[in-house]
Amino acid sequence: MIRHPIPRPAALALAVASILVLIISYTVLSERQHRLNPGDTTLPTWSQLREGVGVAVHKNQRTGERWLVEDAKASLGRLFLGLLWGVAGALILGLLMGCFSPAEAFLQPPFSLLAQIPPTAVLAVFFVLAGTGDNMYVAMIAFGVMPTLAMTVHMAVKEFPEELQFKAYTLGASHAEVILAIIFHQILPRLLDAFRLAIGPAMVYLIAAEMVVGDVGFGYRIRLQSKLLNMSVVYPYLACLAAFGFAMDGALRQAQRRFCPWYQGSRG
Amino acid sequence: MKAAAVEIRGVHHGFGDKPVLDDVNLRIGRGQFLALVGPSGCGKSTLLRAIVGTHLPRRGEIRLFPPGADAAGLLVTGPGRDRGIVYQQYALFPFLTALENVAIGLMLDETSIPFRFFRFLRWRALRRRHLEMAVEMLARVKLADALHLYPHEMSGGMRQRVALAQALIMKPEILLMDEPFGALDEATREELQQHLISLRSENLLALDESRTPPHTLIIVTHELNEAIYVGDRVVGLSQHWDWRSEGHQSFPGATVTYDKATPHSSAKTDRNFGAFAMARDEIRRVVFEPQAPPGRNEHVTYWKTRASPETTDEPT
Amino acid sequence: MKSHPVLAPFVACLAAFLASAPEVFSGPPSFSLAWSEYPSWSVFGVAHGLQLIDGREGKLGKIESKWNVDIVLKEAEYDPCLTMYGAAQCDAVCITNMDALNPALSRPSAVILPTSTSLGGDALITVDSIKNVQQLRGKKVLGLSKSVSEYCFVRNLELLGENEKDHNFSNMDPGAAAMAMQQKQPDVAAIVVWNPFVLETLNRRKDVHVLFDSSSIPNEIVDTVTVAQASLDKPGGKEFACAVIETYYAVNHSLADPATADDTLVALGEKFSHLDLASMKKVVQQTKFYSTPDAARALIAGKDLRGVMHKVVDFCVKHEIVAKAPEVGYGTKAEAPGAALRFDPSYIEAATAAK
Ligand SMILES: Nc1ncnc2c1ncn2[C@@H]1O[C@H](COP(=O)(O)OP(=O)(O)OP(=O)(O)O)[C@@H](O)[C@H]1O
Ligand SMILES: [Mg+2]
Repeated sequence: MIRHPIPRPAALALAVASILVLIISYTVLSERQHRLNPGDTTLPTWSQLREGVGVAVHKNQRTGERWLVEDAKASLGRLFLGLLWGVAGALILGLLMGCFSPAEAFLQPPFSLLAQIPPTAVLAVFFVLAGTGDNMYVAMIAFGVMPTLAMTVHMAVKEFPEELQFKAYTLGASHAEVILAIIFHQILPRLLDAFRLAIGPAMVYLIAAEMVVGDVGFGYRIRLQSKLLNMSVVYPYLACLAAFGFAMDGALRQAQRRFCPWYQGSRG
Repeated sequence: MKAAAVEIRGVHHGFGDKPVLDDVNLRIGRGQFLALVGPSGCGKSTLLRAIVGTHLPRRGEIRLFPPGADAAGLLVTGPGRDRGIVYQQYALFPFLTALENVAIGLMLDETSIPFRFFRFLRWRALRRRHLEMAVEMLARVKLADALHLYPHEMSGGMRQRVALAQALIMKPEILLMDEPFGALDEATREELQQHLISLRSENLLALDESRTPPHTLIIVTHELNEAIYVGDRVVGLSQHWDWRSEGHQSFPGATVTYDKATPHSSAKTDRNFGAFAMARDEIRRVVFEPQAPPGRNEHVTYWKTRASPETTDEPT
Repeated sequence: MKSHPVLAPFVACLAAFLASAPEVFSGPPSFSLAWSEYPSWSVFGVAHGLQLIDGREGKLGKIESKWNVDIVLKEAEYDPCLTMYGAAQCDAVCITNMDALNPALSRPSAVILPTSTSLGGDALITVDSIKNVQQLRGKKVLGLSKSVSEYCFVRNLELLGENEKDHNFSNMDPGAAAMAMQQKQPDVAAIVVWNPFVLETLNRRKDVHVLFDSSSIPNEIVDTVTVAQASLDKPGGKEFACAVIETYYAVNHSLADPATADDTLVALGEKFSHLDLASMKKVVQQTKFYSTPDAARALIAGKDLRGVMHKVVDFCVKHEIVAKAPEVGYGTKAEAPGAALRFDPSYIEAATAAK
C-alpha cells in the first residue's frame, strides 16, 4: 500500500539487503573483469582494494606524510571554509533580501541567475577573484552554494507569518531583535536543511576544481590515480568522501534536532 | 470611565478600489471592555489592525492617550508595546516553549541585544526573574504544568491561553484581540471568556479603590453571546447602513451602526437573561440584517446615554 | 580472486548471467581505437571525414574493406582514453610511450605505430623576469604531475645539470595553468604545458618566453598507437593493426602532397582545438610526425629507443607512475615473449609490404 509503514526490523533487513546487493554486484563485476583480464586494476578485487587502502595510508618516507591524511586535511579544510563562508553569506544576504525590499529587488535577479551557473565552469573568474591557491577553492564553494542557500533563506523569511512579526513589535522588539531574535530562529532549521543539501554540490565543486588545479587534495589524488588506473586507491577515496558527506549530513541533522527541537513536530 | 484611552477619528480605509471602512469614529474609555461585532468581511480586522498600527488607515487618525500624555494624545503610526495583540492564528512563536513564549515579551521590552551580549551576567539574573514571572502568569491561565511544551505540542485552547498570558504579562494599556477564541470548543471558549471577565473584575476593583483600571480591551468576535458576555460595550460595524440618505452614490464602506452598553455593565447584577436576549436580538437586527438598514447614528448611543466624561475638544 | 563461500554461488550465477550476453556475429571482426584530439592522432578523425575508414560500428571505409576489418573509433579526452584502455573497453589507444607503461602492466600491449614526437610541443614558459634555469630554483612550476610535462621538465633540468630537488614542480591541469598564466596571476611565474597551450600562451601574453622545451629531447616523448596483445592475437587483429597503420600514412600522404596539404592541415586543426592554418603549421613543426614508414621503423628498430625507454621507465618508477618497472621489449612477440610493452615494427612492415 502506498506510504504504508513497515516494521523496523523489516526496514533494517531491507537496508542490509540493499548494501549486500551493492557488494555482490561489485564483486560480480570485478570477477567478470578479472576473467577478461587477470591483470585488471580498474575494478579491483577486494584484496587489491585492501592494498590500495594500504597505499593511501602508507607513510611516505620522503615527505613523512600519508596521502589520505594530507589530502583530507587539504580538502576538508577547503570544504569547511567554503561552506562556512557560503552559509554565512547566504544567511546575511538571504535575511537582507527577505527583510528589505530594496535588497530583494537588487539581489534577487543576480542570485536567480547565478544559481544556474556551475562555478566550476567559470574557473577563470575564480582565478581572478581569488588567485590559484586555497582561497580559490573556498571562493568557488562559497559562491557555488551561496545563491541557492540565500534563496532558501529568502523564501523562508518570506513565509514567516507577518502576524508574528507584528506581535514581536507589540512586545517591544526593535527591528534588529525582530530579525535576530525572531526571524533568525524561525528560519534556522530551514537553513540547516538547505545546508545539508548544499554539501553534495560543494563536494562536487571542490573535487572538480581540485582535479584541474590542485596539487593536493581528494580531487587531485583521484584524478591522478585514476589516470594511472590505480582504482584500488580511487575507490577507497570515494568511499571516504561518501562517508564524510554522510557524517556531515548526520551532524547537521543532529544539530537541527538539538537547536530546533520544535521543528520536526511543527511541520505540516 | 474617566479618561479616553483610544480615539478613532474619521477613519476611512479600502483596498484598491474597494472601500471597506467609512468615517469610523469611536472613543474608547480607559478600562472599557469593547466588543466589536459585525458581518463577515465588514472590516473588523481592518479596524483592529489600524489600531495595532500595522496597517494604517487611508484617512483619519487614531490617537492614544496613555497616562501622562498631553491633550492631543499620541498618533498611532506603528505597532508598539502599549498595545498587546492576540490573533486567532499564529498565536505563538513556534520555536519557543510556552514559558519562553510568555517570557520573551519581557526580554524584548526590557533588554536589548547589546545588553544581553555584553552584560551577560546581569541578563542571566534578569532572565531568571522573567521566567518566574512567566511561570506565575501561566499559572494564572491554568497552564502551570505545560510550561515546557512547544506550540505544536499544545491544543488550540492551550495555545490561546499562552497567547493571552503572553499579552497580559506585558500589562499593555490596551489589549486587542481578533476572534481569539474562534477555533475553540465551547467549554474551552467559556473558560477563557471567564478569564477575561476576571480581568474586568480587576478593573471594577480598581475603580472601587479609585485607581486607574488596569485593563482596556477591544475584542473582535462574531459571537454575539460572547460580545455581550465579555464586553461592557458592544460596537457593531456593518456594511448595511443607509448610506444613500447621506448622499453617497456608491457604497462608501462599513461604518459603526451600533454602539451601546451591554445590559450587565450598568447593573452590577451578574446575568439578566431577559435583557441579554433583547440586546442580542437588537444587535442582530441592526448590524447583521441587510433589510431596512439603519441610519448612521440611530443606534450609536453609548456616549449619549451616559455623562460623557470629556468633550472631544477637551479630554481630561 | 577469492570470494566469500556463502556468496560464491550467487557470484557464479550472476557472473554467468552477465557473461552470457549473446555474441552477434556478422561481418568482419570489429576492433576499437580510442583517440583524443592531438595533431598526430586527430589524423584518425580526419580519416573518418575522408571516408578512408568509417569510425562507426558496422560501417566500413575504403581501407577497412581492404583489410576486411571494422575499425570503431572512440573519441574521448586523453585521460578517459587511458581509463578506457586500462579497463579493456577498447582494443587500441592513442597514447604516449610514457603513459603506455602503466596500463601495459595489467594489459600486455604492443606499440604498433609511433605517430609523432614532441619537438617543442611541450615547453616550460616563464615570465620574462626568469631568464635562466638558475633563477627558476625554488619557484613554483605548474604543470600536470606524472605526465610528459613533468618528464620534459625533469629531463631538461638533467641536461642543464640542475638538481631536481632544487625545483618545485606543482600539479595543475595544463589548461588551467595556461589560463592562470595568461591572466597574469601573481603566483604563476612558470608553467609546463603542451600544445595548443604553448602556442596560445605565447600568442596572448607577450612578457613570457620559453625557457626550454622538448626540442632538446627529440624522440623521447613519443606519441603512439598501442594495441592490447590479446586483441592482436584475436583473428583479424593483425589486419586491424595494418589498417590503422595504412590509414595513418594515407592521411600523412595528403599532408605531404602540396595539392592537399593545407586542406588536410585545416581539417586536422578543426579536430585540434580549432587552430587556424598558421598555428597548425607551427604545431606540426613542434610535433614532428613520423610521416613515413621509414621514419617510424628508424625509431622503433633503432638503437636509441632502448636508451630512451630506459630513462622513461626510470622516471616513471621514481615518480611512482608505475608500481614496478614493466619489461619493455623490442620486435615481434616471438622475439620478446615476456614483454609488457613491446615496440613491434613488424606491423608497419606488413602494412607497407601489402601495397
Ligand atoms: N490585504 C487585503 N487586500 C485586499 N482586500 C482585503 C485585504 N484585507 C482585507 N480585505 C478586504 O477588506 C474587507 C474587510 O476585511 P476584514 O478582514 O477586515 O473583515 P472582517 O470584518 O475581519 O471579516 P471576518 O469576520 O470574516 O474576519 C474584506 O472584504 C476583505 O476582502
Ligand atoms: Mg477578521
